[in-house]
Amino acid sequence: MAEVHVIGQLVGATGFPEHSLFCKWGIHAGGAWKVLAGIREGQTQVDNPQNHDAAYWSHPIDIHFSTKGLQGWPKLHLQVWHQDSFGRNELYGYGFCHIPTSPGNHTIECPTWRPSGSFREQVSQYFLGGGPQLKNPDLIYSGADRCRLTTVAMGKVHIKLGIILRNFDKFGIEC
Amino acid sequence: MSTQPSTVFLLMVGGQIESAEFPEFDDIYCKYCFHHGPDWLITSGLEEGLTQITKKSRDDRQQFVWNFPLDITFKSTNPYGWPQLVIHAYGFNAFGSDVVRGYGVCHVPITPGRHTMRLPMFVPESSSLLQKFTSWLLISRHPEYVDPKVIAQGEGREVTRVRSQGFVTVSFNVVMKDMKKLGYDVIPSEVSTTNIPENVGMQTQTLES
Repeated sequence: MAEVHVIGQLVGATGFPEHSLFCKWGIHAGGAWKVLAGIREGQTQVDNPQNHDAAYWSHPIDIHFSTKGLQGWPKLHLQVWHQDSFGRNELYGYGFCHIPTSPGNHTIECPTWRPSGSFREQVSQYFLGGGPQLKNPDLIYSGADRCRLTTVAMGKVHIKLGIILRNFDKFGIEC
Repeated sequence: MSTQPSTVFLLMVGGQIESAEFPEFDDIYCKYCFHHGPDWLITSGLEEGLTQITKKSRDDRQQFVWNFPLDITFKSTNPYGWPQLVIHAYGFNAFGSDVVRGYGVCHVPITPGRHTMRLPMFVPESSSLLQKFTSWLLISRHPEYVDPKVIAQGEGREVTRVRSQGFVTVSFNVVMKDMKKLGYDVIPSEVSTTNIPENVGMQTQTLES
């Protein structure tokens, strides 16, 4: 069986309208993939930066996969949330990125989006906060059912990942 | 040298805690420690240490320089639990007692070569207004992590609120032994086994003649 190690960090986020951000993350992989060790989902700290344009999480990721097939290569999916001064959480963005397939260090910028909703919802969000969320979060990393969804661009999440592959060349797979 | 097939690989890390930016503070020192998984062992070098106390440079760079050496060698059978460098910076308040100025963490790079990292440094914040008030009353008693290694773990961080307020620059030089022998690829295969066609040199010869 071939093995994949994903070692890295959710570094932080830029380009969001406000600070005090945190991120819920998870890794989704196909049926042939098994997690041997490590945490496959989590939530970062809330960062309220003092004098920077970016929020920083420095959240470590360390997962060991084993696989019997290449289909369903793991994907990292993210939800960025904003925590306001009353402790209320508001959705700020969804995003996903593929775990890189080549070994080595990778710096990834993951763009995010959020559902924009109807005009009425946008007005109520402007005054009250909140806003529409996806009923089914699987949509973040699947392209099957996205038609008729209207969205708006949000900021970027910065991720650093190191990939170590084992025994891929033994099966003739070139990465 | 032993002839039996080895099941361990070695990771030698050299480097330095170079410098820092903390725009609002002066007089800063660092503690560092390495956090690693259960399969890892340190074969030589110091797992933790303490730098000198440094002041800002008196020019427009406003930089703290430590130039503090890191030298450590790890041994492991499994890359899971890859070592992380945890840095915590301290300063002093008006009464000379230690106050935390930031925590930062990064993985040791997984590829051989020279790497420079800029770690964001953050401090935990009081979770309630009452705690904020008492910490103000007791004159900058800032909340701290009991065990700084929690920032190298993915669990239990969702409850913490932090404020990032600076950066520390660290450089690493990484060398590995026996990774490829155990089947691990840390760089793409076309880089590790460069394939130069045999007729490349011959063509240049015919061009010259």
